[in-house]
Amino acid sequence: MNLLRFALRRLLFAVLVLASVLTITFVLSHLIPGNVLQAWLGRSAAQFPNLAAAYAQKYHLTDSIPVQYFYYLVNMLQGNLGISPSRGFIPVGQVISETLPFTLQIVFFSFIFSLAMGLLLGILAARYYRSPADNAIRLFYLGGYSSPPYFIAVILLIVFSFYLGILPSGGAYDVSLTTPSIITGLPILDSLLEGNLAYFQSAMVHVLLPSFSLALASFGIITRVARSSLLEVMQTDYIRAARAKGLSEGAVFFRHALPNASVSLITISSLIVTFLITGTIFVESVFAYPGMGQFVVTALAGLDYPGVLATTLVFAVVIVATNFVADVLYAYVDPQIRLG
Amino acid sequence: MGSRLRQVASLLRSNREAALGAVIVLAFAVTSLVVEAGILLNLQVVPYSPIQQNVGPLLASPSLAHPFGTDSLGRDLFSRIIYAMPNDVAVGYVVVASALAVGSVLGSFAGIYGGIADELLMRFTDVFFALPVLVLAMVIALLLGSGVTNMMIVLAIVWWPPYARLARGEALKVAHQNYIEAARLSGLKARKLIFEHVIPNISGTLLVYATLDIGTVILTYSGLAYVGLAVRYPYPDWGLMVSDYNAYVLSAPWLPLFPGLMISLGVIGFSLLGDGIKETMEKR
Repeated sequence: MNLLRFALRRLLFAVLVLASVLTITFVLSHLIPGNVLQAWLGRSAAQFPNLAAAYAQKYHLTDSIPVQYFYYLVNMLQGNLGISPSRGFIPVGQVISETLPFTLQIVFFSFIFSLAMGLLLGILAARYYRSPADNAIRLFYLGGYSSPPYFIAVILLIVFSFYLGILPSGGAYDVSLTTPSIITGLPILDSLLEGNLAYFQSAMVHVLLPSFSLALASFGIITRVARSSLLEVMQTDYIRAARAKGLSEGAVFFRHALPNASVSLITISSLIVTFLITGTIFVESVFAYPGMGQFVVTALAGLDYPGVLATTLVFAVVIVATNFVADVLYAYVDPQIRLG
Repeated sequence: MGSRLRQVASLLRSNREAALGAVIVLAFAVTSLVVEAGILLNLQVVPYSPIQQNVGPLLASPSLAHPFGTDSLGRDLFSRIIYAMPNDVAVGYVVVASALAVGSVLGSFAGIYGGIADELLMRFTDVFFALPVLVLAMVIALLLGSGVTNMMIVLAIVWWPPYARLARGEALKVAHQNYIEAARLSGLKARKLIFEHVIPNISGTLLVYATLDIGTVILTYSGLAYVGLAVRYPYPDWGLMVSDYNAYVLSAPWLPLFPGLMISLGVIGFSLLGDGIKETMEKR
């Protein structure tokens, strides 16, 4: 099977998974105890009967379940995710388009940090297998992945913002600066494209602590996999052959062992992204970072069902998309996968 | 089971890390039992009442009288932390036990008998893997309402799919071994075959995974507690304490640090113990 056919098959699978997720959120939204309108509109449902009626009509809440399901799908596909009681009844779609870019910024940088730190320490641990350095690295990542992300965030906040005073304690940028116009939608990238360096610098400084908190909580998975797959590769025949050719130990390690061990990292990278995106729920609230994670927390507290369900969908879309990319990348690197 | 206990005992003697893990796990379990017994018998086993205000000065730093300091309402942090321990510990054990039970039965059935049941289980778990467990738990939590017991139920609902996958894979490995084939050919009922022959033979791998997994459950539960879904005020909970005491990160940094540290310590305990058991199993 060629790569394109493999990719198409995985794409079809991704669409099926998302369709199931939509069905699950639909079922969950109808399991809400009591009156659905009450749940979606909060107290306003009783205060403003007209609003409640209009809302029921707009979302076809009085129709039969299959009809409601049809309109639910149509609404979702059109990006119409309902209105958010916890954000003053503005459309959930608007809240998400305002907050998601910030969350994606944290996910992107924490992924880079996590990968860099995880790989570096994994290589070191494998290179100095069973030495004190290996043990120290193990202790470090064990502490990291055993700690809730919000706890790591609090420690970094105390050390870097309050004790050392070198990084800001909250927010996504200095609010006195002019915000960049929307090009890609990601403020950090847009400010760079526009040449708004003051904003770029401020946004970078603000994204450091939240991203680093998540990286510290997740790099252990990468270190662990990198270390064990490197150790495994070092035992194989082709490494013995490379050594027999008279290659230096460094050349054997970096030119032959490392590329082969990195294949296994692709499969866990989608796991890491899932971890990072759910982790934003916690670090954003510690650093008052205006992303979607913080919206989830306020939506939960305000019993904002449309908000919580819509963010669940967005999380699922991001995760399914990463899994798809990882699958295709994996098949590209390792032909055995697409043949199998 | 006796031979397994002996194996664990010899592991603890030879592996210092696993022994440390076992000490932490045991200390947490015993403390939790004592606290629970104290609640049942109406005895106060912690130095101060965890909810009584003004038992000491406000925001006092750690001292002999208040080893972890006091909070903004003058409550003793040490008492609050110990009192909250059974929440995390109980959720960890109960959720993993239920996932282990559901997952091993469904997974071994799918693995041994294959067919539509197998296909359905695989596709169903595929969908589960695409959804972040924590977010799914939050949605269900909104429907069920908050509370420690409800969080146990919520996590039990979302936690079993990886166990089913693992059990299915392990069951496939043993499916064609002679003793299983023989049992099947002798016309043994599915229920008997699975409970008496398959599950006992795949339980080793599943139990190792479960030991490592209790820590993950505790982390996830502490996340649900952090966003306020687990415990009602004024009762203490580690995750909720970190969230509430965030406001004092500048004036009294020990307030969010100690409860956070307890979560990490508990999770590290299960990781060390689980890793040790896994290493010994792989060596054989």
